[in-house]
Amino acid sequence: MIHPKTQHVVDARYMEPPEPFVQTMEMLDTLKPGEKMLLLLFREPHPLYKVLRQNGYTYETELLADGTFEILIWR
Amino acid sequence: MQAMLAFQNAPPFAAPLRFFLTAPLFSLAAGLLLLAGGPELLASRWTPGLLAATHLITVGFMLQVMLGALIQILPVVAGVNLGDPLRVARWLHAGLSAGALLLAGGFLLSQPAALSAAALTLGLTITAFLVVSGQALAGVPSTSPTIRGLKVALTGLAGAVGLGVALALAIAHGWAVPLPALTDLHVGWALGGWAGILLAAMAFVVVPMFQLTPGYPARPSWWFPRLMIGLMLVWALAVYLDSAAAIRIIQAAVALLGIAFLLLTLRLQMQRRRARADATYRYWQLGLAGAILALFMALTATIWPPLADLAGWSPFAGILLLVGGFMSFIIGMLYKIVPFLAWLHLQNQVKPGKPAPNMSKIMPDAAMQRQMRAHAAALALLLAAAIQPEWLARPAGAALALASGWLFFNLQGAALRYRMHLQELDRETRVA
Repeated sequence: MIHPKTQHVVDARYMEPPEPFVQTMEMLDTLKPGEKMLLLLFREPHPLYKVLRQNGYTYETELLADGTFEILIWR
Repeated sequence: MQAMLAFQNAPPFAAPLRFFLTAPLFSLAAGLLLLAGGPELLASRWTPGLLAATHLITVGFMLQVMLGALIQILPVVAGVNLGDPLRVARWLHAGLSAGALLLAGGFLLSQPAALSAAALTLGLTITAFLVVSGQALAGVPSTSPTIRGLKVALTGLAGAVGLGVALALAIAHGWAVPLPALTDLHVGWALGGWAGILLAAMAFVVVPMFQLTPGYPARPSWWFPRLMIGLMLVWALAVYLDSAAAIRIIQAAVALLGIAFLLLTLRLQMQRRRARADATYRYWQLGLAGAILALFMALTATIWPPLADLAGWSPFAGILLLVGGFMSFIIGMLYKIVPFLAWLHLQNQVKPGKPAPNMSKIMPDAAMQRQMRAHAAALALLLAAAIQPEWLARPAGAALALASGWLFFNLQGAALRYRMHLQELDRETRVA
């Protein structure tokens, strides 16, 4: 999936927990320095936010009209 | 990265579990009350027995589960932890349980002292919870409709409990207050301003997450909590001004707003991507059908008030909303939350690379589906009993007690299997 914000996208909108968390962690492992990834969800993943902060990641969240939360993550 | 899977600081399982295991015992007690009290209990919405049974369900069952679940879910949906959740859970659970029993006892036996004690116990317990959760949420920006909904719902809870305490004291001490108007307002704040907004705030997260539906559109989700609490405030003003016409218009608007949310949820459910209809999905279908019908009845009665005076009308609508709507939504969520929490806590105990036991082993779907059929049968009997109490009040009470006992049995079974797996892991660790 290609997205204007980045080409590294996990569309977890129709996945059951803990799959969104697992797939995000796996994609973060594959990112090269300077690259960003985008997670799409129908909710704000607060437990993930916490793990991201603890591991030195930054994130930015935008709520779209259809209820999708776009979470852009980078280090 | 595997190590990052551990969700640190998740409240211990014991914190919410005590609420979930006690709640069915209160709805069981409501069933037994109807079994013992028989048809007289359903004669009007004001009989002492029906007031007792109603509060066993609303305070003993609903409020119990809702506050217990909040302790667990605040870190997940709002990113905040209550300081020392296990301690909060202990006093909150004790206060709610004692308060619900005192309240039901006070109504049933027409005991002013018990009613006053219930008002004091529930008033203090819930005020303390509002302080603790309010402090935790105060510094959190409302970045999602769910967080805003939670904050507004807590305001609704404060209003509902404030009115409840005032009403209980008024009845206990014979104060001259407009009882019917204030009772309707209390019901509005409790079911609309608190339970309704909380349900919506949770649904925004759990419906897409557990039932794999599209998300709730952002704009109406932002507005729903504010509109609902706004209507509650105007309703209170209309009661203060003693304007019957204004009260009717506001009640109609509340019913319409509720119906809009429920229909939106129904539409999302129809677009779900999970092929299998599990117990949670079916419970939510039942809940949506029950709540929509109940609110249509409320709406109709605001347009043509004599309807509400028909024998059985109010108990029928009330049963439909509480047992058909809210109880169904809550049990449906419990059937997801309890196995998921058991799995999560076990997952945090197992060694890396070794999976925790499957969720369906902790709570088999077949057991949940069977219990759900018992709940649906109890609902049908209760509704029939509202129309034909002579014959059906006692069987309906027995059916509610049975369905609630079965729910307790299912939840207790999951808790036991959880502890069994935990002990097994403990043994494995010691052997290794």
